[in-house]
Amino acid sequence: MTEVAGEPIESMEESTGLLAGVRRRMDGDFDVDEWGLDPDLVHLVNPVLAARWRIEVRGAENLPVVGPAVLAFNRRFGLSEPWVLARGMRISGGRFVRTIGIPDVAPVGPVMRRMGGVLDRPDEISGLLRAGQLVGVPMQRQVRPRAVAGELTVASLEPALATGAPVLPVALVGRECGRRWRVLVGEPVQPIRRAGPLAAAELAESTQARVQALLDEAARARWPFG
Amino acid sequence: MRVLLTGMGGQLGTRVTNLLEATDGFDEILGIDLDPPRRRITRAEFHRVDPRDRRTAVRLVRDFEPQAVVHLGIFEPNARSGPTAARIGTAVSAVAVLGAAAQCASLRRIVVRSGIEVYGRRRGAATRPDELVAPRPTSPFGASLLHVERVAAEAGLAADVPVCALRFAPVVGPSVPSPLGRYLRLPVVPVGLFSELPFSLLHQEDAAAATLAALDAGFDGPLNVVGSGAVTASQAARMGGRLPLPVAGPAWVAARVAAEVLGAPLPLHVRELLLRGRCADGSAARSALGISARSTPDVVRQLYDWETVASVAVSPS
Repeated sequence: MTEVAGEPIESMEESTGLLAGVRRRMDGDFDVDEWGLDPDLVHLVNPVLAARWRIEVRGAENLPVVGPAVLAFNRRFGLSEPWVLARGMRISGGRFVRTIGIPDVAPVGPVMRRMGGVLDRPDEISGLLRAGQLVGVPMQRQVRPRAVAGELTVASLEPALATGAPVLPVALVGRECGRRWRVLVGEPVQPIRRAGPLAAAELAESTQARVQALLDEAARARWPFG
Repeated sequence: MRVLLTGMGGQLGTRVTNLLEATDGFDEILGIDLDPPRRRITRAEFHRVDPRDRRTAVRLVRDFEPQAVVHLGIFEPNARSGPTAARIGTAVSAVAVLGAAAQCASLRRIVVRSGIEVYGRRRGAATRPDELVAPRPTSPFGASLLHVERVAAEAGLAADVPVCALRFAPVVGPSVPSPLGRYLRLPVVPVGLFSELPFSLLHQEDAAAATLAALDAGFDGPLNVVGSGAVTASQAARMGGRLPLPVAGPAWVAARVAAEVLGAPLPLHVRELLLRGRCADGSAARSALGISARSTPDVVRQLYDWETVASVAVSPS
């Protein structure tokens, strides 16, 4: 299944929604969750995000409709990727992604929290998974060569094993300064074993391999004769 | 069951007393506090004791020989007493009452009121800690609460009885003496310009229900008791029709002085909450105690939903 999204929408409905959103903010009548996500604010900045990125999502059917999941994704410089992933999942599945790794320093930290960012702490990830959230776990930065999945921090996957949440490999393909991005969501990675000291390390290796496979598949699709 | 209840004069203590009086199985209820109960009590016995008067407290506890101790004698800075008096009163009262109770052979269980302030909000701290996260308080009130928890744990170990520490989210309400409640009801509410993280609150009725449930369950260990959801300070102010005023750096000094002049002093733990937020995972308490607390936005709404002038019908006879 392929979905394309990201065109800026200039409609009367959008404008009315924006006005209603501003009014709700003036009255304090909006939701903020315990980690700081502000869905209303995300909706308000939606036109800006739509103008910045045009995102194509493949494999969205692999995302759970409800319930927790860990989305392990590759990154080059790591600036666009969290935004692309979050926006892609929101458009294709209507769900917010809580990407780990924001700095806990004002004013950057609080702003990133409003957009869905969370701290990189195992107990933070566990709490999010217990609350049924999608958690974005970035791999190590891999600037060169391109389209290579970096390593996953083993500690970031331990909460998934502890809570039984599925781990989905996600490949993000695009250029930092470009507008077009592709998001490929793979099927859940089955852990070789559920417990023991090796379980998380093996799961991290399997997930990295699956993300790499998705990146290779995306490269083949781009160069049919290559 | 013979229940000793400290902090009976507080809003929470009085409500818990009324609930205990209305529940079968609690034959004798003895309460102590610095202030008298805020509502009529029907069959509980109350003794007015200064929290620093250890000798009187110890004598009362030993004579009563409680089977259960509900220690609600926690003094929040700038709620009913100044920061120093609150810290000393909380510490001395905990040592005297829990220490004396631990020496009673009749003791079966202990329930203490604590708070999610024990987790602290230092940089990089868990945003929504559960009970497995080690407490590392970053405010004097958080340190006071952790001290009470440790005294209670020591008493429980000595008496070999379960100790349940109820880590409440801040309890606010129209009639609850709370520095946070007073602050949020100012006409202009200073809030953080650069940092404003969400916090959770707890309704006073849910705090009382949780206390009773913990006493009934005999749970051993800490439990976070929080309302679902969260709000930010400026959001809460707007919900109450107040004007949030973003301030930063040295402007906080002026904001603090102005708030104190207007009758809403801003202790450190409340300032920390406004800037760094304060939430906790309350799922363990929900399953262990079977309670379902009101949501934080609902608690904020009832904080502002009060009459400024109440008409009382007075009969001349």
